[in-house]
Amino acid sequence: MIENLTIEQTSKLLNDKQASALEITDIYLKKINTAKKLNCFITVSEDKAIEAAKETDERISKNKKIGFLDGVPLAYKDLFCTNDILTTASSKILSNFTPTYESTVTANCKDQGAVVLGKLNCDEFAMGSTNKTSFYGPVINPWKSIDNEDELVPGGSSGGSAASVAADLCVASLGTDTGGSIRQPASFTGLVGLKPTYGRVSRWGTVAFASSLDQAGPIAKTVEDAAILLQTISGHDNKDSTSSIRSNENFYSNLDSSVKGLKIGVPKEYMSDDLPEEIQKFWNEGKKILTENGAELTEVSLPSTKTALPAYYIIAPAEASSNLSRYDGVKYGLRVKEKSLTEMYESTRSEGFGDEVKRRIMIGTYVLSSGYYDAYYIKAQKIRSIIKNDFDNVFKNVDALFTPATPNTAFPINREETDPVQNYLNDIFTVPANLAGLPAISIPFGLDNSGLPIGMQLITNSFQEQMLLNISKNLQDTINFNNRPTQWWK
Amino acid sequence: MEFDKNSTLKLAKLARLSLNAEQLNSLEKDLTSIVSFIDQLKEINTEKIDPTSNSLDQDLILREDVAENKLSNEDLLKNVPESELGFFVVPKVIE
Amino acid sequence: MSNNWQTVIGIEIHAQVNSKSKLFSSSSTGFGSAPNTQVSLVDAAMPGMLPVINKFCIEQAVKSGLGLNAKINSKSIFDRKNYFYQDLPQGYQISQFKDPIVGEGSIEIDLGDEKKVIGIERLHLEQDAGKSLHDQDPNLTFVDLNRSGIALMEIVSKPDMASPEEAVAYVKKVRTILRYLDTCDGNMEQGSLRADVNISVRKEGDELGTRCEIKNLNSFKHINAAINFEVDRQIKVIEGGDKIKQETRLYDVTLDKTRSMRSKEDAHDYRYFPDPDLLPLKLNQSWIDDLKKDLPELPDEKKARFVEQYKISDYDAEVLTSDRLTSEYFEKVAKNRNVKLAVSWVASELFAILNKLNLTIEKSPVNSDQLGDLIDEIENGIISNRAAKEVFEEMCESSKSVKEIINDKGLVQISDTTEIEKFIDQVLIENPDNVQKYKEGKTKLLGFFIGEVMKATKGKANPGLLNQIVKKKLDN
Repeated sequence: MIENLTIEQTSKLLNDKQASALEITDIYLKKINTAKKLNCFITVSEDKAIEAAKETDERISKNKKIGFLDGVPLAYKDLFCTNDILTTASSKILSNFTPTYESTVTANCKDQGAVVLGKLNCDEFAMGSTNKTSFYGPVINPWKSIDNEDELVPGGSSGGSAASVAADLCVASLGTDTGGSIRQPASFTGLVGLKPTYGRVSRWGTVAFASSLDQAGPIAKTVEDAAILLQTISGHDNKDSTSSIRSNENFYSNLDSSVKGLKIGVPKEYMSDDLPEEIQKFWNEGKKILTENGAELTEVSLPSTKTALPAYYIIAPAEASSNLSRYDGVKYGLRVKEKSLTEMYESTRSEGFGDEVKRRIMIGTYVLSSGYYDAYYIKAQKIRSIIKNDFDNVFKNVDALFTPATPNTAFPINREETDPVQNYLNDIFTVPANLAGLPAISIPFGLDNSGLPIGMQLITNSFQEQMLLNISKNLQDTINFNNRPTQWWK
Repeated sequence: MEFDKNSTLKLAKLARLSLNAEQLNSLEKDLTSIVSFIDQLKEINTEKIDPTSNSLDQDLILREDVAENKLSNEDLLKNVPESELGFFVVPKVIE
Repeated sequence: MSNNWQTVIGIEIHAQVNSKSKLFSSSSTGFGSAPNTQVSLVDAAMPGMLPVINKFCIEQAVKSGLGLNAKINSKSIFDRKNYFYQDLPQGYQISQFKDPIVGEGSIEIDLGDEKKVIGIERLHLEQDAGKSLHDQDPNLTFVDLNRSGIALMEIVSKPDMASPEEAVAYVKKVRTILRYLDTCDGNMEQGSLRADVNISVRKEGDELGTRCEIKNLNSFKHINAAINFEVDRQIKVIEGGDKIKQETRLYDVTLDKTRSMRSKEDAHDYRYFPDPDLLPLKLNQSWIDDLKKDLPELPDEKKARFVEQYKISDYDAEVLTSDRLTSEYFEKVAKNRNVKLAVSWVASELFAILNKLNLTIEKSPVNSDQLGDLIDEIENGIISNRAAKEVFEEMCESSKSVKEIINDKGLVQISDTTEIEKFIDQVLIENPDNVQKYKEGKTKLLGFFIGEVMKATKGKANPGLLNQIVKKKLDN
């Protein structure tokens, strides 16, 4: 009975007193214990989870349940600072850091009574799309190809957030998305992953990667669950100067799966001969479904699409190089003892950061350095204006855009890229929405011939998350994707 | 741009990273590849375009001038690698 | 210094905004707290912390800009200045680089006989760094982040000054303006106002020389001494056939020397870029206009008004308006009173005692009402100017009222004609010879008789009456 629960189902079980929060939590903690092979969790906060579950049961016994999330076991990417729980950003440099504060996002969940099972593995400082850059080792995708026994990447950077939900080690999770870090792993694991409009969700207390791109969002089994989590974590926060002053919305109650009369654009720049046939097939199927369900599909053009990825690989490293300067061994985190201040900085940072993080710090330092700033950084910011303008133009005529989420499906962990740029190409479909600050979602569509999940992406105009969720629900209800990986790790 | 030992070490110095020979070698190669990837933007004409550093179109939020010291010295230093008498400490610095 | 050498000086003043909380966090800015007790999560650059700007600091920066006759920029940007240092927790300082909140302006400095206009390049807001203590341990530097994140206004002058005197006059004038505006308390001892001085020398007609920057000068004396030393040093270097190296230097107070700063030897590349945690700051013109309307009277205007309204000398007006609180003190004292008396009592007697006690006017032992009372007694002829000085001295030490002191000391002036006549008669009887000489034409002896009477009355005789009566009696 307690298997593959959604937030809605968990809440109903608790309401109907068919199970206690403690029982449900206990089952999830046991599942986590049997799935260590997947390496999803960096920290399991067992005591705190049990304590929170007991508090929920106490509230339920007094008929004072707070809301949907009360008693629901969740887990968070280890990028969210959690009071009194180790928070590492999957980096050696923060491997001993226990915050005295709680990020706004996780505090919002806590206020709704959520039970926190622990902190999820991810790429180091969210830099990566394979989860292989983590100091704590790679996360293994619960999905396997039917063709071989290869261990596959779950995608990244929110690999633990996706794998843990796919393996049902938590009901739903939170990740962050800077260039596709929620949508790509959701797509690789058959889940719903939503990146909100930039500014919708407070960044306070979330370890920063690229400040102008980072947004936290849900990874969930259903669109409904994504809606519940989104409305929980959204809203203005006066501790974040880039938090939107718009009032929060009730995305879950307002879900309306009708797409009748909606105009949906298909950007021609996302089509390419390189796109695997099976992804192309599901994309076409999606277009057909939307048309059959009453939407009007049109081809649109986003001419700047191919400039997005190089612009992203200037802007994100530039901001990251500066954001990661605070990890210097003085105030918290790792310190490698040396005789002089400079040596202490250099040894600490060299030992504390992994290779991918170092690469990005170096690139970021380069594009901001004297003589190159205009040619790279300013140029990329101008490209960002062009990309945003492209989207603005398109959204004058359509309500949403429909594209593949990723150019490939999950690939083997042991596939080594000699050129880092090859890895960067994983973000090709997801990065434009980050640069333009737009909300975007990845929803599962089906399995390819190897039995691996394929996801499609929807993008809407700023703050149109309701529209995004509505169309997603329509697709979800029509497709009825309910495949789960076989539990080979047990 | 081809990264050589000098240009790579100069960046590493700015970023306060020390690199061993092997790291240096592979970074030279990686950086050259990444820069040639981002160099494709050079072809795009952006002459009359204003840069966007943040996509959020909103006025800067201002805070009232109210003082409060919420964080105790103990909590501030909770994760500190080394401290003395309530101070952060670092190897001796000569100004 | 050789005659044909010219000195070129530009100054960056760092003035602490007198806000209660820091620029981007709500930690207190109070001075003198225990180390690391005024540090928020934001100031310590904990992971995930974000800056939120203090509205008051923006207002103060704009007011200061208006006071410096400068252009207020309707859009300004906060940038990150990236460098590693133990007192910089974020690894970058939030400052303003390309688009500061305040643009070009100018102020006038007074150089005794002549005035000179000094250009202002810009004013921008930025975060202060923490404080390092190097003398607590032989192997360690201690870091206190209480100052970290405090709001500073960096005011950059054009290289318009040519001597240490001009440099000091400039810093004094900026300090006065900020204190008038109440945007910075100007307390140099506590570091609320510091100056970085850029100095270069050149032969007349030559291009600008290579400059050196002397950092963190925190008194007028040090500014003067550091410039004098540095100009001599640079001339000696060049005349010795060497070149000046562009560098940052420190002024060593005990040695009265400047020296190269070791920590600044690395070539810097600050990699400024707009802080992605902050959106552009846009200021509304009507909001700026409102601030302008509410601006207090500034030193130059006030000085001109004092000359015009009180008919006092340019010099006295300068002295009285060099500080806002002094000027306000003076105006309270002068209101409906004899202006000459007010000027002399404030600018001479009061200043002398404040100097002696090393006090600022806000700590003056005699407030403006009390000094006014004292002047009233002089004007009403109750006490003589001489007696008033005695009263004033007592006022500085006790809390008694002017009237009480006068009564206690028996200093009330004798203005009763009959009584004064008694004393005069006595003196005339005792000095028949001099009376004779006076009557023979030696009228200069008038002073002698007046002096004798004053002696006899212990200085209490009303001098006007005394003079009149003595003259009348002798001339009869």
